[in-house]
Amino acid sequence: MKINYSLITRRTFLNTLLGGWLLAFLSGSFLALFKFAFPTLGKEPDFVILKNVDDYMNIPPNSIKPFAWGGKLGIFFKRADGALVALKGVCSHMECNIAYKPEERKFYCPCHKGWFDETGKNIKGPPPKPLEIFEYTLEEGKLIVARKGVKVELPKA
Amino acid sequence: MNCQRLKDWFDERYDIAPLRKFARKKLVPSHRYDLWYYTGGIVLFLFVLQFITGMLLSFYYVPHAEHAHKSIIEIVTKLNMGWFFRSLHHWGAQLAIFTLFVHLFAVLLLKAYRKPRELLWFSGFILLGVSLFFGLSGYLLLWDERAFAAVKVATGGAGAFPLAGNFIKAFLRGGIDVTGETLTRFYAFHVAILPLATVFLMALHVFLVQIHGMSVPLSLKDAALPQEPFFPNTVYKDFTVWLVILGIVVTIAVLFPPEIGLKADPLAAPPEDIKPEWYFLFLFQTLKLFPGDILGLNGETIAVVLVAAGIFILFILPLLDKKSSREEKSPLFNLIGIVYLVYFLVMTIVGYFS
Repeated sequence: MKINYSLITRRTFLNTLLGGWLLAFLSGSFLALFKFAFPTLGKEPDFVILKNVDDYMNIPPNSIKPFAWGGKLGIFFKRADGALVALKGVCSHMECNIAYKPEERKFYCPCHKGWFDETGKNIKGPPPKPLEIFEYTLEEGKLIVARKGVKVELPKA
Repeated sequence: MNCQRLKDWFDERYDIAPLRKFARKKLVPSHRYDLWYYTGGIVLFLFVLQFITGMLLSFYYVPHAEHAHKSIIEIVTKLNMGWFFRSLHHWGAQLAIFTLFVHLFAVLLLKAYRKPRELLWFSGFILLGVSLFFGLSGYLLLWDERAFAAVKVATGGAGAFPLAGNFIKAFLRGGIDVTGETLTRFYAFHVAILPLATVFLMALHVFLVQIHGMSVPLSLKDAALPQEPFFPNTVYKDFTVWLVILGIVVTIAVLFPPEIGLKADPLAAPPEDIKPEWYFLFLFQTLKLFPGDILGLNGETIAVVLVAAGIFILFILPLLDKKSSREEKSPLFNLIGIVYLVYFLVMTIVGYFS
């Protein structure tokens, strides 16, 4: 079907073409710049390998030993009943590092007065979620702490 | 997207009618040399590109002798697009300095420096000096063997100046030797002092161009030249050229990422056949021409003084060229301009292949 009049003027067509082209060009350029400006470095690890296993396994009951979970705080914790737990020492509220209070047998976040019990459950204050608990295994004299459900594949040395 | 209310809001507070009028009336003459007008705009564009890529690189670069080299390796190996933006910054700098030299010699040979545009020449000349220092200081930030040796030579050359030489050398190095102190100093120059100077001088330079308009070569001053409106004709042409330049620099950056050598070791010998960046070759080659001892005087000092004199004469050339300031032909200064150009080209090429 041929229409006798044009729906848009030539000028509008060219302006749209130029504008669209400019938009595509600029967004492509900025996307690359932003990708460089906001890195994906410092991603949390899926697992960490700890040496000096005994230092972690033989801590006294009702005490903790920190380890590096990537750039964040990881806590190795022996409960008063002797059970060992590895967890992320980062509050689920605003990501402050938490402290263990042995006399109260609770974890405490000083930023906004959040409390977690021995199992990592949030019991008081603003934290919306429990602490993240890790799984740990002993392998060839090394202690491997991994995020729950992650299959650890060690590099063949 | 007309934003009439926003425009009204602005117009009620600021009267930009004179600016609008100026933009409407601005004309650019067309003639057979008008191609050279683009070189200034290209430099402007490349500097903007350098500012953008430089700001981003400074997010990740660590200006410390222990970490600088490693941080660059991390930029190019670990970061998103890091290799690309480092390469783009490198090649953008090369192309900017190349275009600056083209701009300089075009202005020199077309005598665009003549009265009333002397201040444009001076500000542009200083901008070229700032850009070369940009190049040298940026080069040291790599903190690899080559950069280390090159900066040693360059700052050592400054030390050969009579009287103030040792003071300049110590000021540049931040001590008696090139050390980590030099690195932080050059970092400050490269990311704070020189960019500010550049923005100021460039604003002045562009502002003066608006006052004077485009210079027309002496040979065409009596011809009735067609004039082209700056908005939108010249602007569109400028943008087109910039886009082509962007394409060129991106292509080169992708195909030829610059390498980085081994980490600088102050106790190791410099690598074999060490050479400065190409834009310093003409200086390097000139210094090589002089023997170590001339009639009992230090040859290096004489060489440095002569080079400085040559550069100074070029700097004040608009004041020396009386004839062209009266709009008369001045063949002597044609010759001088050609001598400078040929000397620069020959020494650069000889330096490159020797």
